[in-house]
Amino acid sequence: MAYTPQYGPGTSVVAQNRRNQMNPNFELAKLRSITDEDVVLILGHRAPGAAYPTAHPPLAEQQEPADPMRKLVKPTEGAKAGDRVRYIQFADSMFNAPSQPYQRTYMECYRFRGIDPGTLSGRQIVECRERDLDQYSKMLIETEVFDPATVSCRGATVHGHSLRLAEDGMMFDALQRCVLGDDGVVKYVKDQIGVPLDRAVEVGKPMDEAWLKEHSTIFHSLAGTSLREDPEYIEYIQRIHSLRTKYGFMPKEE
Amino acid sequence: MPDSAFPQCRIVPLRLLSPQTAEKFLGRCAEVPGIRRIVINGPGLPATVPYGPARGSANPNSNRRTIQVGGAAVEMKVQAGTFILEVDDEGVIEEIRTVCDEFFTAIPYRLQTGRFMKSSPSLVDYAKYGPNVDEAVVGLVDPRKRDGPTIIPRSVPRTAGEDCLNQVQREHTSDKIN
Repeated sequence: MAYTPQYGPGTSVVAQNRRNQMNPNFELAKLRSITDEDVVLILGHRAPGAAYPTAHPPLAEQQEPADPMRKLVKPTEGAKAGDRVRYIQFADSMFNAPSQPYQRTYMECYRFRGIDPGTLSGRQIVECRERDLDQYSKMLIETEVFDPATVSCRGATVHGHSLRLAEDGMMFDALQRCVLGDDGVVKYVKDQIGVPLDRAVEVGKPMDEAWLKEHSTIFHSLAGTSLREDPEYIEYIQRIHSLRTKYGFMPKEE
Repeated sequence: MPDSAFPQCRIVPLRLLSPQTAEKFLGRCAEVPGIRRIVINGPGLPATVPYGPARGSANPNSNRRTIQVGGAAVEMKVQAGTFILEVDDEGVIEEIRTVCDEFFTAIPYRLQTGRFMKSSPSLVDYAKYGPNVDEAVVGLVDPRKRDGPTIIPRSVPRTAGEDCLNQVQREHTSDKIN
C-alpha cells in the first residue's frame, strides 16, 4: 500500500502515544497477566465456566441468503456462534491515565472487529459478541492501555474521572469496586456494575507517576504534558476549527 | 445572617482524603478554639448502589465510616475533599493555616478566605424548615437529607459565657454523570 496512515498529528510524547495505540501494527506492551476466569468475574455478565448464552442459532445452522458481502466479511467467532452482545466500560482519570475515551474508540476501531463503541467525556463503552468481548477485555486490561489506579472497569456509577485522585493515588469510585491492598496490588472486590465478587480479583500494581506521564494520551497542563508544548497539534486544531467555522461560507484553505 | 458576620475559609487538599486522614485533620482543627461551624464537602458515598443493574443493593465501602472528631461521632457520607470553616475572627484562620502547614506535608493544599457557606435560606430551605429557620443551620445541612448537623462540644471557649457550638456537617455534592 502506497499510503501510510498517520493516525494523528503532534510531536509530543502524548501525540506519539496516541499514534501508537491507534496503530494496529504497534504491539502494545503487556504489563500484567489476568486469567480468563478473572476477566469474566470483572465483567459480571455470566458465571465463570458457564456456556455462552446465545441470541440466535449459529450462522452455520442458518439458511443465509446468497450475498457477496457475506463472502467478503468473515464473521467473528462470537457472531459465528450466535453469542449475545455484552459490554465492557472503562472510566479514565484525567490525571495521566494511559488512555482516554475518544482515544479508546479510535484504538478499538483500528484493532478490533465487530464492535460498537460508545464514547462519552469520562467513560467509554464497547459492545460486541460475548466471546469476542472476553478476548478484547483481556487485552485491554493486560496491556499498557490500563493502569489499575487511574483506569477502572465501571459499568454504572462512573463519575470520578474528573475528580482529584484519592490519597493513595486511586481514582475516586463511589462503589469502591477496586481497593488498593496493603501489598500494593489493586484488587477488584466488585464486578463492573457493583455486585460484590466471591473472591477478589488482582489486577496488578499501580504504575508510578513517571510511567504515567510518559505513557499518557491526555494533555494536562498541571499533571502532565501541556497542549501548548505541542505546536503541531495546536496548528492542526486551529486548522480544523477554522475550516469548520468557514464551512458553508467559503470552505477552502488559503 | 449578615454577609460579614463571621470570617470563613476553605481548605482544599490536592488529594481526596481517606476517613482516617480526615479524622486526624479534623481532630487537629477541633483543638483550635474559635471555630463555629465546619462543612465537609466531597463526592458522595451512597449506602446503596444508585444506578445500573445493581441499583438498590448494598454498597459496602471502607471510606464510608464513622470518625471521631472532638469527642463526637461523625459519619462520613462523602470522601473528604474540601473543608469549609466559619470562625470567630481572622486570627483563628491564621491558627488554622498553621495547623494545615504542619498537617499537610505530603499533600499540597490551598487555604482560601471568603464566603463559602450559604448565607440566607434558599427556596429548598424554606420548604423544609419554614420561615423561622435557625440561621446557624443554613448552609450546614443538605436540605434533601433527613439528618442534621453534628454538634461538637467546644474545647476551649473563646469568650466567657459564649454558648456557640462547633458544628460539623457532611454535605453531599451531586453525582455527575459523564
